[in-house]
Amino acid sequence: MKSLQSLFLTLLFGSFIIFSFSSCEKETPEPPNEEELITTLTLTLTPVGSGLATTFTFEDLDGDGGNDPVITEGRLSSGLTYNAYLEISNGQTTPPTDITQEVLLEAEEHQFFYESTVNGLSIEYRDEDADQNPIGLQTLFTAGDPTTGTLTITLRHQPDKAAAGVADGDITNAGGETDIQVTFNVEVQ
Amino acid sequence: MLKYNNFFASYFFILSIIVLPIIAQGQNCSLTFDGYVHDLGTGLPLEDVNIYVEENGRGAVSDSIGYFKFDDFCKGHYHLVISHIGCEAEFYHLDLTEDTTLEFFMNHSHHLLDGGTVTEKATPKSTQQLETLQQQNISDNAQKSLSNILESIAGVNTLKNGNGIAKPIVHGLYGNRLTILNNEIAISGQQWGNDHSPEIDPLVAQKIKVVKGVGTLQYPGSNLGSVIMIEPQKIGTEPHLHGKANYFLESNGWGNGVHAQIKKHSSFVGWKISGTLKKFGDRKTPNYYLNNTGTQEANLAIQLEKSFSKKLFSELYFSSFNAELGVLRGAHVGNLTDLEFALEQDVPFYTEENFSYGLDAPRQKVNHQLLKLKSKYFLGDNEWLEFIAAGQLNLRKEFDVRRSGRSDIPAMSLKQYTVFLEGKYKNELKKDWKLTTGLQVNFIDNTNNPETGIFPLIPDYLAYETGAFGILTKKINKSLFEFGLRYDNIYQSVVTFSRTTPAEILRYENNFNNFGSTAGWTYSFNSFFNLSYNVGWASRNPAINELYSNGLHQGVSGIEEGDVDLKSERSVKSTLSFNGGVDKIFSFETLLYFQNINDYIFLAPQDEIRLTIRGAFPVFRYEQTQAQIYGFDVSGKIEFTEALHSQIIYSFIKGKDKSHDLPLINLPSNNLSASLSYEFPKAIKIGKRKLENFSLELENKYVFKQKDILLEQDFLAPPDAYYLLGFKMATNIQWNKSRTRFHLALENITNTVYRDYLNRQRYFADDLGFNAALGVSFSF
Repeated sequence: MKSLQSLFLTLLFGSFIIFSFSSCEKETPEPPNEEELITTLTLTLTPVGSGLATTFTFEDLDGDGGNDPVITEGRLSSGLTYNAYLEISNGQTTPPTDITQEVLLEAEEHQFFYESTVNGLSIEYRDEDADQNPIGLQTLFTAGDPTTGTLTITLRHQPDKAAAGVADGDITNAGGETDIQVTFNVEVQ
Repeated sequence: MLKYNNFFASYFFILSIIVLPIIAQGQNCSLTFDGYVHDLGTGLPLEDVNIYVEENGRGAVSDSIGYFKFDDFCKGHYHLVISHIGCEAEFYHLDLTEDTTLEFFMNHSHHLLDGGTVTEKATPKSTQQLETLQQQNISDNAQKSLSNILESIAGVNTLKNGNGIAKPIVHGLYGNRLTILNNEIAISGQQWGNDHSPEIDPLVAQKIKVVKGVGTLQYPGSNLGSVIMIEPQKIGTEPHLHGKANYFLESNGWGNGVHAQIKKHSSFVGWKISGTLKKFGDRKTPNYYLNNTGTQEANLAIQLEKSFSKKLFSELYFSSFNAELGVLRGAHVGNLTDLEFALEQDVPFYTEENFSYGLDAPRQKVNHQLLKLKSKYFLGDNEWLEFIAAGQLNLRKEFDVRRSGRSDIPAMSLKQYTVFLEGKYKNELKKDWKLTTGLQVNFIDNTNNPETGIFPLIPDYLAYETGAFGILTKKINKSLFEFGLRYDNIYQSVVTFSRTTPAEILRYENNFNNFGSTAGWTYSFNSFFNLSYNVGWASRNPAINELYSNGLHQGVSGIEEGDVDLKSERSVKSTLSFNGGVDKIFSFETLLYFQNINDYIFLAPQDEIRLTIRGAFPVFRYEQTQAQIYGFDVSGKIEFTEALHSQIIYSFIKGKDKSHDLPLINLPSNNLSASLSYEFPKAIKIGKRKLENFSLELENKYVFKQKDILLEQDFLAPPDAYYLLGFKMATNIQWNKSRTRFHLALENITNTVYRDYLNRQRYFADDLGFNAALGVSFSF
């Protein structure tokens, strides 16, 4: 029985060592710096010639969870042609980080796709990467007759730009991962 | 000498060799040694056993009463190789000083076909069913991971993500619910992840055991059912340097690897060092390469054993497991739309024409170190104390495809260290009574590295687990009874971030009490038939990931949320097994199990699609329900002749979420395997050498379609049933002082295109095509 006692003592001593070397409360961690995060997408459409610019914005400042994203939708005028510019940023930092530059620096590995159910709305790429493939940050929008529909903007990372139809804006064969996918309601007046 | 033997008899799980020195007059070169060879399972004599003496190349063959004899030997050290059809060769060191009679027990009659599983009926230590994979089987499958090796046991399946990432499932339980012991220490890592393989090198093991039971209460961790044990070989008392080297090459993935080990027992200390290196490239389906599915491993194990006195025996064990595992490039998707696109592809995105060993994101990098000190102090011949102190360090980094060169920054980076202390008291004082009791303290510290730049899926935490157990076995006539009790207190200190801007610190403290109890009864009708019934009751506290997961789980394209209000699970499992056979004609093992888990924790799909800037994601939340799992494993072996055998294994499993009247997900499909093998009864002579144990085997495996799942429970309907054909060939050659084994295995010979329900890669790609694996092992 003496050995049993010594066993208990050893264990007690051992656990004492463990408990004394470490506190009973986990130390406070450092929050990660989510510099890769995209919180905001802004599409600005400026009519060719003259007219008022219109913007579409998708903003989710607290990331995947938490509050719902805030979406603002503009209106297009029938028959007008617009120069459209996309901007993406991380609004968690002050000042917000411009992610558009990050995409431009890796232009060959990124492409935006515009899928619309708006009758008569045509969208053309107006920019290209070093391989003469579209990026999709600059586009030309032409609105048709008054109608409504949706516009889905998708950013694919590492798509296969050489696959059939991809350079013309067809996402079907693009592959890659989606970094952004937002849908706006569009009204053509 | 006799006392020495007792010492080791209790130390080794099974003692296969007993020495009975007989004192007689001894002259220098006229010594005689003889002996008898018996079947370990039945005790019957074994005929035609080859006994080879390495030092002088002399050989003898046992007769009909298992007897063999050598004359005119000089004093000295001799190394014997004892080989027989259907048996793994035994090695024995003899220090011959006088005329000696030896008695050998060979593990023969209950060998299932591929030198594979054995139920150790000869010395039942427990009432729970134990399945063992022997060393030869492990080294013949050197190219496989631990989980893939275990798949040959009835009732054991694997949950995979490609071929390289695999974790075992026993009777439908895995991850947090299945305990895996690496040399008696519960492996501590990120077991919760479905795509996290156990960090263990199977080649270090002499035996891999699976207790298909109701709870093995002497180990910490979940006691809901089964336990997997990886056991390295004890060094023993052999005074000479011995070792073995093993090389394999396989065609699918052009994988190759080497494993080597050397050991020696000196009067100061017994030591063993083993190391493994493995490298695989892109695997191939019948029609295309699976890009980025290579793996690399580098492992090391060091073992020291020392007897300080006749009463005190200590061992030190260190193992290091280091792996880099690729994940199919086309399986990496950004959101639900991507997944739907990927599901429609016949050939996954990013499939390339050429083979490559390259490993890019997505990939995992895992390092696991274990250091264990164990001491055993004898209070008497059959009463002893054991003390174990063990530390583990687990590092896991997972790399995703990211923008702006961030693919080299892990998207998940976790460090976990664990300290485990145990004191155990064992008593076999009275002949038929056995008592094991002990105290354990386990400390876990889990930390996320903020280098990821991503809010972690699971939080940082500390856990203190304090447990006590007692197990009593009693033999009465033909019955063996077993009772066990266990109590654990678990304290967790958790710290996590709120998902607000700016992020706030959230702290949680938990205290859980787990209870476990088992009762078992085995009745041996005679040496051939036995019946066992076991029942176990256990509770399991919710694991950290179940309580606090929060975020996007890229691998499953879903947002996972824990629930801080989860209660402990409570399980009742019972097993009924009936094993037996008519020796040398037919033998069988059957096991029925039935398990009810109240408040079973599972990830339930929610009626919610969460909108993010990356698109819409389905939301999954941990919920509790009443679950029921039942099934049976049957295996049978027919010996048409001593050389021609056939084996059949069938396992059936069904699981149900009783509260919602839904099937349980991720349960194995029912499967049937049948094999036919022929081993040449006599060695084949080629010149001066002989091909011993020359065997051929044809394997058939049929996996049924998982029909017990509803379409809305998964992204994709379960794949069809499939059939695989395999072939194996092996032989041994005895050289003067060494022995070589050649092994060839052909898998999926018909190059069948198939997908498996439990392989997540099935969403994106077919499973593996034809593979030929060639292995050579050399031992001295």
